Order: sequence, then structure tokens, then C-alpha cells
Amino acid sequence: MMRKLIVFLLVVALVLLAFSVFGRTKLIMAVHWSDYQVEGVKDKNGNLIKKGLRQYVEEYMALHPDVEIEIQSVPFDEYLKRILISHTSGEIADIYVLYSLWGVQLVDSGILNAPPKDVVDKVKSDFVKPAVDGVTIDGKIWGVPIEVDNYALVYNKKLLKDAGFDNPPKTWDELVEMAPKLTKRNKDGTISQYGFAFLSGWDSAVVHPYLALLYSNNGKFLKDDFSECLLNSKEAIEALEAELKLFKNGGTDPAASVWNFPAGKIAMMIMAPWYETSLKLGFKDRYEETVGVSPIPYLKKPTTVGYTWFIAVDNASKNKKIAWDFIKWMALNDSNGFTRMGELMAKNIGAIPPKKSDIAYFTGELNDLYTSVFVDELKHTYQEPNVAQGQEIKTILMREIVEAWNGRKTAEKALKDAKKQIDEILAEFY
Amino acid sequence: MSKNKKSRKLLEFIRYFVIIFGAFWMILPFFWLFSASLMTPEELLADIPKWLPAKPQWSNYVEVLKRIPLLIYYKNSFIVAGTVTLLVIITSSLAGYSFAKLRFPGRKLLFRFVLSTMMFPVFIFLIPVYYLMKLFGWLDNYLSLIVPFAVSGYGIFLMRQFVMTIPDELLDSARMDGASEFRIYISIILPLLKPVIATLAILTFIGQWNSFLWPLIVTTSAQHLMTLPVGISRLSLAFSTTETQHLILAALVYQVIPMVVVFLYLQRYYIKGFVLSGFGNI
Amino acid sequence: MKYGSSYRKTTLAGYVFLAPAIFFYSLFFGFPVIFSLIVSTKRWNMLIPLSKARAVGFFHYKYLLNNELFMHSLLNTLMYSLITVSISLTIALILAVLINNAKFSILWRFIYFTPVVTPQVAIGTIWGYLYRPNNGLLNSILKLFGLKPVYWLTDPNVVLFSVMITAIWAGIGGSMLILTAGLKNIPQDYYDAAKIDGAGPFKQFWYITVPLLKPTLLFLTATGMIGAWQVFDLPFIMGRNAPIKSIMTVSWYVYETAFQSLRMGRASAGAFLLFCVIFSVTLIILWIFRRGGIEGYE
Repeated sequence: MMRKLIVFLLVVALVLLAFSVFGRTKLIMAVHWSDYQVEGVKDKNGNLIKKGLRQYVEEYMALHPDVEIEIQSVPFDEYLKRILISHTSGEIADIYVLYSLWGVQLVDSGILNAPPKDVVDKVKSDFVKPAVDGVTIDGKIWGVPIEVDNYALVYNKKLLKDAGFDNPPKTWDELVEMAPKLTKRNKDGTISQYGFAFLSGWDSAVVHPYLALLYSNNGKFLKDDFSECLLNSKEAIEALEAELKLFKNGGTDPAASVWNFPAGKIAMMIMAPWYETSLKLGFKDRYEETVGVSPIPYLKKPTTVGYTWFIAVDNASKNKKIAWDFIKWMALNDSNGFTRMGELMAKNIGAIPPKKSDIAYFTGELNDLYTSVFVDELKHTYQEPNVAQGQEIKTILMREIVEAWNGRKTAEKALKDAKKQIDEILAEFY
Repeated sequence: MSKNKKSRKLLEFIRYFVIIFGAFWMILPFFWLFSASLMTPEELLADIPKWLPAKPQWSNYVEVLKRIPLLIYYKNSFIVAGTVTLLVIITSSLAGYSFAKLRFPGRKLLFRFVLSTMMFPVFIFLIPVYYLMKLFGWLDNYLSLIVPFAVSGYGIFLMRQFVMTIPDELLDSARMDGASEFRIYISIILPLLKPVIATLAILTFIGQWNSFLWPLIVTTSAQHLMTLPVGISRLSLAFSTTETQHLILAALVYQVIPMVVVFLYLQRYYIKGFVLSGFGNI
Repeated sequence: MKYGSSYRKTTLAGYVFLAPAIFFYSLFFGFPVIFSLIVSTKRWNMLIPLSKARAVGFFHYKYLLNNELFMHSLLNTLMYSLITVSISLTIALILAVLINNAKFSILWRFIYFTPVVTPQVAIGTIWGYLYRPNNGLLNSILKLFGLKPVYWLTDPNVVLFSVMITAIWAGIGGSMLILTAGLKNIPQDYYDAAKIDGAGPFKQFWYITVPLLKPTLLFLTATGMIGAWQVFDLPFIMGRNAPIKSIMTVSWYVYETAFQSLRMGRASAGAFLLFCVIFSVTLIILWIFRRGGIEGYE
């Protein structure tokens, strides 16, 4: 009798176990973060001092024992490739962290799941405008913004003081005037200290600062319905010519590299929030007295440009409801005045959370010497247009701008050539 | 007599001068890697590369072990690179012997076909081969890391060229003694190919050891299979690599050392080939 | 009579030994190639199902052959492969011969091989420093001779050559390894006989070493060319700040078209065009080497 009972109980236990294993929902979350961003920051003794994504995920799983979340981390350079290659064979993630421009392609191909109405409403009301624009594709909202970036002027206070400048330039004309005075040359003509350096090497680096100038000149990059490229406008040409002034008067040249700023070889540059750690490492205890940040010098009105990262759900996911539930728990709902995603961004990753309440809450991290200016400038930030083939278009513009920088094309010709190629692409989609 | 001796000494001097001068330029980045892996992140930010660390940061090597499961990566990389190398040597030498010494209809065409497999850019294969891996259910398995590389046109071509240098007479006399082709392959061909096999082994092993994109795509969902390059990439942070650069460099040293060991170990096979003098007139 | 049966035996063995390779290729080469051929006739962004992709026939091929950037890429890659392969092979041959019987030959062989095992970041750092316009190593040397600085990686007239120099440097080690294997294969008897006949080192090199290395040289030239025509990493990493027309290679174009512009159809067409070029070039090389390289070895 006892034996039969024990066997019965064992069978029941096994069946329950099987159910719990099979009944468990598995979510796959794809992210471009790695190392301590995912695993958390630990001190010398291995104790956790800053939470990483994994800690939040484990918290959620503890609250929902029937859910398992697997984090798949892919380096940024390979992220989109990985999605494309595995998606064609049906290997998908349930949750994606995405760069806004990648989102356009995914939405157009029906890959993303339209968020539930309550999510959409909360995004519209609780997040800063550039971030909301960032997740708006073809007029609809497709995810929850989790990171917003923009650009500002970063300068070397000491080099400026040495040349007699107490303040950074406010307008672009002031920048054009100051830069050559901050440039030092060697006898052979090469530059040993750059007054100004443009960010370069990939599409956003070159295009975003140009767009900031364009918008500050009251110009537009594309028509609102994306049917035409407007780079042939007077404002667009003026904006590029404003950049070229720096090349012509010796304030910079195409060989300038912003990566030499921590070595003290650059006086001013346009930079984004993610460079802070390198600056702190480069200047060490001279950081506070050397690094200065101010809004991008503008043409007609203060403006800067931004881009967004957001979190979304795959339309082919079998667990859409649970996925959105996790996203709400992580990035939308306040727990003690802040969102967990906001905490991850501000404390661990060192980025700017786009939720208004998070920005107000994390003053400690966001109000420092460097980041505070970027945060403050959110009010002047315009999200880059969420246009199809965004990267292809930006690459074309980047290459034309670089031609102009090198004096091989006039601003007008470069923009005209860019417009021609971009219009061809726009015609395919709009 | 002395004039000859003088000119020979001069030639010898020039010879070693050229060798050493070239060697210096060859080893510079390799040396820098080891040196830089002992630096602090600040030292690595200098615009002109520093050649020696102010104080060697041996802790970098310890820190890497704390952050990533290096032993698992080593195991996976060894299994994958080792198996692929073995498979490539077997298939290449068999096919190389076939193309070089055996006559059959279609030989020329098949050889051209094998050559053409090397002529497509790799990215074209990513999507279809991934699909095959999914179809066979190999995505969770070493098989997806090994099988797609088991045969190498490069290896077949290399083996063929070297097998061709083996005199036919040697093989014919073995055939007349009744040896099967397979016997000839094992007893005559393989032993004579020692330096080539070592070369192909080194190059294949290194190619697989350093392979990044394919293993990344395949092991993102099978993290227990990650190889060294994929594992090390988890140390790089998208826009702030400067923070972990010193760790990445130390991790790269961990990655480089086994290749050096394999290379040095296989040098024993670079011996003079067969001596012809025992085989009469040719 | 005995040749009859042994002929049948060798024929059978020929196919049997090839069987694993052929089977492998039909799966891992045949399928992807046919797949890509089909894709090259469609407009596909890899996100919508392939069955829903619009068919466009040979549109992509026509587009590419009329596209300025693609044609520039072809030209750049042509120059790159011709110059890199010929110079790299020549230097590797000379060095391999010099090192072959030298003292500490294993040490030298190892040192010359290190670029092959050196990670990209180290190569990029050192060569980046060499090529830096302001107080980079090369320009400092030029300054010593009173010459003007060169903008190695941003000047469109120079950037391709700068990348070629790095590529030549990186490729020497691998070629040397194979040449060493080839050299070890040459019987010492030949050299001994030549010395007795009074031939000096240069004559020995030209009349013994080079001819007997023909199979190896053919291999290195052919595979070198095939590899050079597909070059991607070095130009992509070193040339990002140079005007694109002066540095883009065909592989780079295909890669960008596929994974940045999400135009897999056009990229596949580009890959096939590249294949046609490489195939033709290889046929030419095989023809040049025809005596003593491919059919029969003397």
C-alpha cells in the first residue's frame, strides 16, 4: 500500500515537473550590450555594485516562475546582420533592442508587432519628444524608447584659455572665428593641435552634425512625406558651406581625428554622450578642469540632432503578451519613482533614459559635468528622420559631404549629387 | 680564392641583414600586442602607441578570467579547429592524390569545379548554409561549426600540387607489386607529404581558430558552444571600447598563444623531402 | 592487359577518393550557389519571405554594370590583386630561399609568420601609427629627407597603395610557409651537382629552385589572386576616411549592399559578377603556367 502511494506521488511529481518545464514560457531577448552591461558591475570581492540586465531579468523570473528569459548578446557591428541571417530561417528573438533606423526596415517588412494601446499611450505621454519621434515609424508607435542620444560641443577648457578664450563659441560663426586661432602647426605644415575636429568614419558621425546645422538653419533634409530630398535648398547649401569654412580657414582638415582629444590634441569637437568614459580615462584627475561641454554652435537657432534606441517585439513571437508584459515591467512602469530600464541606462550603461520621470529621478548620474548639457539640450533635439533605407541614404550623404570637406566638390555640387541618388531611393519606397 | 671568399662573406652579410631587417618589421605589431596587453586603459589612449607599459598590469590577465569563461572557449575552439583540421587534411590529401595521380574521365572538369568553389565571397553562403543547419537541426551542436568547413578547395589544390611532384615510377612499381590505391595513399603519399600536411594543418587550424562571423551567428543561441573570438567579443562595449581595451588585448594574447604553440610544434615536419639518389635514373 | 585492370582500379579509386569532397560540395556549395542565383533575380531585403520577393530578372546585373561605384570597385580590386600578389609572392620567394638553410631558420620562419596570427586590432594600431599624417612614423622618416608629408589614408591617390603595402606585409608569412614546404621538396642532389659544375647561388636559384617550385608558385599565384579579388577586411578598416571611389573593393560593395542597404538581390548579382571575373582570371593564370604546372610535371 505504501509503495503504491509513493509511486503514485512520484508519478504526480514527475508529471507536474514535466508540465512546469513544458509549461514554462521562454522568451529570447536580443541586445547589443555585453560584459558588465549585461552581467553587472562587481567589486574586487565579486559583490554586485551595479545591476546589469541579467539581474533585472532574474528579478522578473523570480516574480514569474513560469517565464524564462534568455539574453542573446551580439556586438553592435554584427547585430543587424545576425537578425537578418537567422530571421530568414525562422530563428527569431521575441524581444529586440533596436536602433531606430533599423526599426523602419523591420516595420516595413511586417517583422515588428504593433504595441498594445496602453503601451502606445504611455509612450506618447511619458517620454521626451525626440524619443517619441524615434519610435514613430509611418505615423505609428512601434516600441518603447529606452535610450536617447544627441550631440553637443565638447571642448578643452585649458587649450581655450591658453589661446585667450574664456567661453566656448555659441554660434557657428564664432566657432569659425575661434578654430584657426586654436590651431597649431608644425614646420612641415601638418597640424599638431587642431582647433576643431569633425566626427567621421561612419554615416551617423558625419551626417548627424550636418543635420544639426541644417535644422538650425531652418532647413529640412527630406519632405515630411519622404517623397523628395531637399538638399538642394538654399538652407542646405548654406549649412554645408558653414562646415566648409572651417576647412578653408585652417580650423580643421580632413585628417583630423576626434580620438586624439583625450591626448589633448584637439581644442573643440562635436561629440555624443557615449564618449564620457574615454574622456575620464584620458584626462584622469585633470578631467574636471579640462573638459567642457556646451550646446552645438548654431546658425540661426539652437538645435541639435538625436537618435533613439527602443525595445520591441517580433510579430512572429509565440509569446507576444508575455513579452509586452516584461517590457512594461522593465521600461514603462515606475517602481519607486523610476523605471528599471532607466536605472540600467543611467547607472550602468551611462546613457540618457528617455522617460521624463527617469530624467528627473537620476539627477546624480545625469547632472554631471558632461551629461547634463546633453540632457538639457534634449529640448532642442530633433530625431533623425525615420526613413526607409536610412543607412543607405546616410552613407550616400556622408560620402558627398566628405568630398566637399576634401575640396573635391563644392557644397552645392556635393548636395546636388547626394539629392539625385537619394531621390532615386526614395522613389522606390514613397 | 680570397676574392671568392670575400664576396661570399659579403653575400652572407647581406643575407642576414635582409632577414633581420625584415623580421623587425614583421614582428612589430605582434610585439605590441603582448606589450599593450600589460598596459592600463589610459596608456592605451595615447595618440602615439606606447611600446612598453610603465608598470606591467599582470592583473589584466586575471581580470579576463573573471569576466569570461575562457576555459569553455578554449575547449570549444580546440574541438572545432582540431576536428576541422583533421577532416580537411584527410579530404584534401585524398582528393589531391586523386587529381594528381589517378586518371579518370572528367578529372579536369572536376578540378576546375573544385577551384571555383573558392571564388565566391563568403557572405553569399551565410544565409543558405544557416538554413541548412537549421534544417538538419545542427544549430545546437558542434556540427554546425565543423561540417561546413570539412572540405577545403584550397587544401585540395595545395595537396594536388605537391603530390604531382612525386615521381610516377614510385607509384607504378608499388602498383606492380599489387598495392591498392588506398595502400599507396597511406604508405607512400602521406609520408612524403609531411611538410605540406604540416603547412595545411597550420593554416587550417589558424583559419578556424580565428574565425569570427560564422561562429557568432551560429552560437548566439547556443552559448555553450562559443569559441574564443566570439567569447572575447563580449568584452568589447559598442562605443566605449576604451574602457575594456586592455582586457581585450590580454584576451587576444590568450587567443594567440595556442596558435604559436601549434606552429612551433609542427615545425618538426619541415624536413628535407625524399632523397632521389636511391631511385636510379629518372 | 595488366594496364587494363589497373586502369579500372585507378579510375574507381579516383572517384572514391573524391566522393567525400564532391558530396560535401553539392550540399554546401551547390545549394547556396543555386539559392544565390535565384536571389539575384529578385528584390529581397532578407526580412520578407523569399517567396514574396518580387522577380526582376537581370535588372541587378544591368544596374551594377552601369553603376559608377561598382565599376570603380572592380578597377580598384584589379589593381590591388595584380600588384599585391606579384610583389608579395616575389618577396616571399626571396625571403623563403634566404631563410631556408640559414642559421636559426625556425626562429625566422616564426617571426615572418607572426603577421598571420596577429589580431586585427594590433595590426590596425601599428599601421595606423605608421600612416598617421601628423608625426606618424612614415611621415617622420620623410621629414628626415626633407620631403613633404603624405596623407596615406585620406589622399585618394595614395590610399589604395597604402592598403596594398599593408596587405603585402601581411601576406608574406603565409606564402613563405608554403614555399618552405616546396623548397624542402627539392632534392639536395640537384644543388650538389650544380655546385660541382661551378654554378653560383644565383644560377642555382634561377635554374633549379624556380623551375622545381613551379607547382607551388602556380598554387600561390592562383590562390593569391582568388583571395585578393575577394579582399574586404583591410580596405574596409583602413579606408573608411578616404573618398570611397578610390578604395572600395568589390567584396566591400557586395557586403555593404547586402547588410547595410539590405539589397540581397543586388548583392548576390554582384557576387556572381565577381565570380565570373575571378574565374576568368584563374583560367588565364592556369594558361600562363600550363607548361610544367598543371598537366604533367617535368
